[in-house]
Amino acid sequence: MDLTWLHLCALVVLGAVAGGIGSLTGIGGGLIITPILTLVFGVPIHQAIGTSLCCVIATSSGAAASYVEHRLSDIRLGMTLELTTTLGAVTGSLVAALLSREALAILFAVFLSYAGSTMARRSFRAEAMETGGMEPYQVKRLPLGLCGSGAAGIISGMLGVGGGIIKVPLMYLAMGVPFKVATATSNFMIGVTAAASAFIYYSRGDVWPLITAPTAVGVYLGAALGARLMRRTPSRWLIVLFSFIMFYFAVIMIWKSFHGGFAR
Amino acid sequence: MNDLTEDKARSAIAAILRYGSLISTLVMALGLVLILLRGPVSVGSGAHLVSFRTLFPRVIRLDAAGIAELGMLLLLVTPILRIIVAGVTFGLERDYKYVLISLGVLAVVCGSIGLAMR
Repeated sequence: MDLTWLHLCALVVLGAVAGGIGSLTGIGGGLIITPILTLVFGVPIHQAIGTSLCCVIATSSGAAASYVEHRLSDIRLGMTLELTTTLGAVTGSLVAALLSREALAILFAVFLSYAGSTMARRSFRAEAMETGGMEPYQVKRLPLGLCGSGAAGIISGMLGVGGGIIKVPLMYLAMGVPFKVATATSNFMIGVTAAASAFIYYSRGDVWPLITAPTAVGVYLGAALGARLMRRTPSRWLIVLFSFIMFYFAVIMIWKSFHGGFAR
Repeated sequence: MNDLTEDKARSAIAAILRYGSLISTLVMALGLVLILLRGPVSVGSGAHLVSFRTLFPRVIRLDAAGIAELGMLLLLVTPILRIIVAGVTFGLERDYKYVLISLGVLAVVCGSIGLAMR
């Protein structure tokens, strides 16, 4: 496939959408990029995941700066959880190489469905979470958090997602961290998680620079613009729409797996 | 450590995050623009860390794909900077437990790079 202006612009737009949604909701970079790269651009799923991981780094770096400045990220907690997350990420990336495209696509679709349903359910509680103040908090159940983060890491390394969908509920619901801090901390750390596995994908040739570079540039722009254009969190119906889109992608990916759509 | 130093440290981390991603994005964009100015390039091939040796000669020769790839590697490196800066900040705060934790995370990531280069 040749890289033309059209492809380039399409990839930048894709990245911008993913970056925008990712910076606003804390979710969605990898979950949008991989399906579209695979289904629309015809990129094999292992390479799509490689690209997606790099885009996760781009999303994380862009937004993380302002979170740190505003003291929202709990860097200590994040770094602690990263001990297991990065180990999981390395493991996941190694496992991914052993899986066939179809198997990986199905796993991805399953995760998409989980993410879609989580977002749909969460959107109805979003308002309650927004009002949380900056009360001092005590981190609880660290061992559970470490295990959960390990699982999030494996999924990140295997499916090319940031892992925020697991980490934010984990910190907020199980560990007693305020929602905003959980989101900011997760955002700060997913870049580290993605980096832990991205090098392995890169060395396998699973990161195509000419696909990754435009998408990552788009993500950077989208994340920067998104944070600026929309001060408020997106309306709940946008989030529900988004989760329907994810279910749609999940169905298509499963369908394609069973109908040889990913054959070499 | 007093609040002023901590604020400075936070600003430093934020600045590194901002400029790190900005620089890598600019380099990638530069590579892409060069590619388009010079005509279409086939996407097919992947990149290998083994080709690190050839990467810098390619960049110096203004090989567009090389520049895009360099930008990408810079992007991959920014989280590592993040860990290091955080670790240093913890050290300045004399919070040695977290210096160790940061070193642990750094070790895992460097280990993955080591695995990758094999």
